[in-house]
Amino acid sequence: MDSLFQITDDKMLEYIWFPLLITLKIAVASTFIVAVLGSIISYFLARREFMGKWLADVLVTLPMVLPPTVTGYVLVVLLGKNGAIGGIIYNITGWTILFTWQVAVIAAFIVSLPLMVKTTTAAIEAVDRDFEYAAFTLGRKELETALFITFPLAKKGIFAGIVLSFARAVGEFGATLMVAGNIPGRTNTMSIAIYSAFQAGNNELANLLAIILVTISLLSMAITAKLVNSWKI
Amino acid sequence: MGIKVDIRKRYYRRKSDKKKGIDPAFMLDASFETENELVVLFGRSGSGKTTTLQCIAGLLEPNGGKIAVNGKVYFDCHKRVNLPVQERSLGYVFQNYALFPHMDVKKNIAYGLKGLSTEEKENRVSEMLHLLHIEGLESNYPSQLSGGQKQRVALARALAPKPDILLLDEPFSALDMVVRMKLREIITEIQRELGIPVFFITHNHVEAFTIADKVVIFHDGRIQQIGTPEEVFYHPQNRHVAELVGLSNIFEDALVHDVNEMHKTLRLKCGDLQVLADKPEKILSDTVSWGIRPENLRILPLQDKCCTEGENLFRAHIKSIMNKGASKVLTLEIAEHRRFLIAEIANHSFEEMEITTGDECLASIQRTKIVMF
Repeated sequence: MDSLFQITDDKMLEYIWFPLLITLKIAVASTFIVAVLGSIISYFLARREFMGKWLADVLVTLPMVLPPTVTGYVLVVLLGKNGAIGGIIYNITGWTILFTWQVAVIAAFIVSLPLMVKTTTAAIEAVDRDFEYAAFTLGRKELETALFITFPLAKKGIFAGIVLSFARAVGEFGATLMVAGNIPGRTNTMSIAIYSAFQAGNNELANLLAIILVTISLLSMAITAKLVNSWKI
Repeated sequence: MGIKVDIRKRYYRRKSDKKKGIDPAFMLDASFETENELVVLFGRSGSGKTTTLQCIAGLLEPNGGKIAVNGKVYFDCHKRVNLPVQERSLGYVFQNYALFPHMDVKKNIAYGLKGLSTEEKENRVSEMLHLLHIEGLESNYPSQLSGGQKQRVALARALAPKPDILLLDEPFSALDMVVRMKLREIITEIQRELGIPVFFITHNHVEAFTIADKVVIFHDGRIQQIGTPEEVFYHPQNRHVAELVGLSNIFEDALVHDVNEMHKTLRLKCGDLQVLADKPEKILSDTVSWGIRPENLRILPLQDKCCTEGENLFRAHIKSIMNKGASKVLTLEIAEHRRFLIAEIANHSFEEMEITTGDECLASIQRTKIVMF
């Protein structure tokens, strides 16, 4: 383990701090979007009947069962310079989203959305509809009811979905590698950095990064468990 | 003024059944009019009471018909009017109370108060706490309340926004007898004080009888009878109503004969069983159904026959005896006719007779208590 301490401050920044910060940045950004959009999608799946509901459910869940490389490949095809969406963005702005941290956020969002939606939909479905009906009879509209009755009563499930999504985003590897690459200082997340260090035979660095990742995961899970247990409802 | 309900609602087993033209699994066809009074919707589970209440509330949309409360149209299929629940100005008390578990009593009661200042809200909550005698509970959460307290909070919450109509879906089904009786009084008082229509669902006939101004009786999605408690309990129009109001002994298709205009009596013949009954004002047909409530059957020891011989007296075997607290419920088999009767007698009378299962006794069907329909 002595060799670990031979990493200079410069290298420390490059090899450890940067992957850690970029991972957190991507995970926090994608989790925020997942939390907001996932809650809305879950509410509609749990509480509304609409045409093509099963299709929406399947599309949201698909990335959970697909290999991340397939998700990554589809994103490359869609978001690349010549892709259906990427092409339009490129023609308007001259900017390509591939190989940026933003596209890593999109990849993390897509792979973690199913976890959020599955958990939250189940939590919302478990809320007794009579609470919502009671709010309606008291003159409250559906949006108010969802925000102040349904979501607060489903908060344990929603929170669990957020934690799972965050963990999934932190651990995201395959899709991110395909859309964002492994550009040191730009897109090399913790999991990619561990893989690179291992490939390069730098086991000390791989060990250190793995220990940091495990510590962060353990801490966040412990804090989450404590917080959720303190909630009465 | 008053409430006019004339609705139809169909339920299919599967969504595709409707397209395939398969008959609905359940069909509600309810039509009635009431004043601003305490109306009890009475019937067995699955008879359409809750569906009717939810249609009035707007929680369910009927397939056809019209609902109007004091001139305000809630639903009109032809005119395509379907007022959202939020705009119907109603108070609804759910069977499971549905108190918001993450809000304390005060917040629960204040939840329906909109467009009021904080002070006005506080005052209204205090008024409600006082009206339902639950002062001191405002900072408690629903999980810290007893069943009776929860029910009072649910009522307070429903009444706080001054609704035009109060709907109660089996509100007391999970409460004990003493609490029930107190809450029944409160509901009756509130209805008199506020003068708003109150719809109350129950399948307990004692409850229906004690609180109702009017009873609407449901069976299998249809209304069987509407009337005052006295009308429906003492003059049921058909077998369903008779069974619902507690007439356990029912004899169908009895032939009417020996009508005696002078003594105002007639005989009812059901197979080889004959009884003498008081003649009603109108006899609708040659065959009628008749019944008698278990508590109106008299049981006499066998040796009493000489004293009361004559009217509607039958020898019967006691097949079973069931304890019902203050009374005993006896199943009797009339020896000659192989017919069964259910009798309910007070404990002290039962003990005096010293009878037990397997014994023979006399069952007296009092002619004044016979109900014909």
